Amino acid sequence: MKFKLIYPKWEKLEGQTIFNLPPHGPVVMAAALPADVDIEFVDENVDILTFDDDADFIGISMMLTGQIKRGWQIATEYRKREKKVIFGGISTMLHAEETMEYADSIFLGEVEGRLDKVFEDFKNNKLQKVYNYLASHPDINSIGPARRSILNKEKYYHKGVRMVDLFHASRGCKYNCYPCAVAYLGGKCFRPRPIDRVVEELATIDNNRLFIVDNSLAQDKQWELDLFREMIPFKKNWCSHPIEDDDEVLDLAAQAGAWFVYQAVFDTSDYIRDRVKRYHDHGIAVEGTILLGTDDHTEDDIKRLIDFLLEINLDLAEFTVLTPFPHTKAYDDLLRQNRIIDKDWNNFNAGKVVIQPKHMTPERLQELYHYAWDTFYKDETQSEKMFKLFRTVIMKEIANGTYKPIREEMANNSFGKQVRR
Amino acid sequence: MIKHFNKDLNSDYFNEIYDFKGQWDVPSRCALKIVRNNTQTVVIATELYAENPGTSVTNFCAPLATLICNDFNIDHEKMVFIVHTPDTKSKLSFMNENFFHVEFTWDGAKFMDPKWAQIDRSKVDELIGITQKQ
Repeated sequence: MKFKLIYPKWEKLEGQTIFNLPPHGPVVMAAALPADVDIEFVDENVDILTFDDDADFIGISMMLTGQIKRGWQIATEYRKREKKVIFGGISTMLHAEETMEYADSIFLGEVEGRLDKVFEDFKNNKLQKVYNYLASHPDINSIGPARRSILNKEKYYHKGVRMVDLFHASRGCKYNCYPCAVAYLGGKCFRPRPIDRVVEELATIDNNRLFIVDNSLAQDKQWELDLFREMIPFKKNWCSHPIEDDDEVLDLAAQAGAWFVYQAVFDTSDYIRDRVKRYHDHGIAVEGTILLGTDDHTEDDIKRLIDFLLEINLDLAEFTVLTPFPHTKAYDDLLRQNRIIDKDWNNFNAGKVVIQPKHMTPERLQELYHYAWDTFYKDETQSEKMFKLFRTVIMKEIANGTYKPIREEMANNSFGKQVRR
Repeated sequence: MIKHFNKDLNSDYFNEIYDFKGQWDVPSRCALKIVRNNTQTVVIATELYAENPGTSVTNFCAPLATLICNDFNIDHEKMVFIVHTPDTKSKLSFMNENFFHVEFTWDGAKFMDPKWAQIDRSKVDELIGITQKQ
């Protein structure tokens, strides 16, 4: 049986450097497919999608809210051709009721151990409208290596440089952060994968550079220490979300290849200043993730925050505007206050203002969002800062003997398309 | 039982934990206070955040109000439904305590179309008969 799994494209943020990373959800899903299913994977961000094909069953995997309307369009096209369509992935879970209107079936929850039933039902023409596993997570021991062989690896190069591979060492999150839906999606309990299973997966990845996509690694110190200790021999370099603010952990993380972390910067406190400094002291770069437009932000606060980012020598900064994704406290709060002013999910990309801010107009917040990008990158462009970060990883790889030169034959190619170098 | 909030949650506004099946039947939980008098029944449903494994009160407001009406034999016409978002002791102002009065439409069997209006704590105290502390 031929299963075609599609990852819909989405509109990229205006003015931002486009990096198409190999997606993670589809490769995790593919690893859980029954053995007799042949899979064809199409990432619409890098591949061309055609509808007239011989697939028996269509899957649409969606991570971002910005993908869902395109996912619905794709499903509509296939259903016109009398193909059955099943949806899954993070944003299917966040937008489940709406997505059902466009689906023969939706899958909610984590896939391990559950897809045999789905495909058996499909074969017997008994596909259920909903496969709901939101309340029961699979045994964390059952999560094996993702099936990255479904990816067209050649498409994830930019001018000869291979993009990082995505990888996860845990699920769930014990934190309940204001703009984040992970606690709803993966549960409010941190579920670390056993270290031996993580190691097993690491051994299957031929990429020297990884993005550990876990929500926060800083949730269980002993597990973190064990994880980093076991990662050292692999000589990978990686980026991740926050690491425990502890010298022993940071030291081991650096030895294990911590390249840079995404660290939320929400105020101008000494706590943030010291946190960034401690990463730097251990040779770990920091990309600040800065959310603009919370109810604590006046115009002056935002300007002061940007000055602060320059003072603390962040290596990179990524600015977003507060976006109320469903199943977050931000969504609940703004819904109750009737302050969600735009319901077009395509605009929920964290770069367009879709709320009424408390202290300014939506238009002013939009201007400040652009001001933030422009001001932070005024003296050194985003490309220049990225190049510096890239150079640090090359130096690390040269030092540990894992450096692979860029592919010269792909120097004029970016994600499968011809470009000028 | 309410580990995270056992010191912080204001006991004026809850007297029991209510477990319910939330959206997609996910086990969910809120704190609850029900105060009845001759003319109305005030229901305060408190968000428990990290202590709620499932759907939030806000996200499930109309079905939750219906469930509570049925489980506690409350006349839907007499119910005054309040959503309470407790203070989480954060320095971020949007994590402070708030109260919202919710109005619904009734379709003959269930509540629908919640509309929230923020109200002061003093109004809540008045509704449940708490005398203002000097």
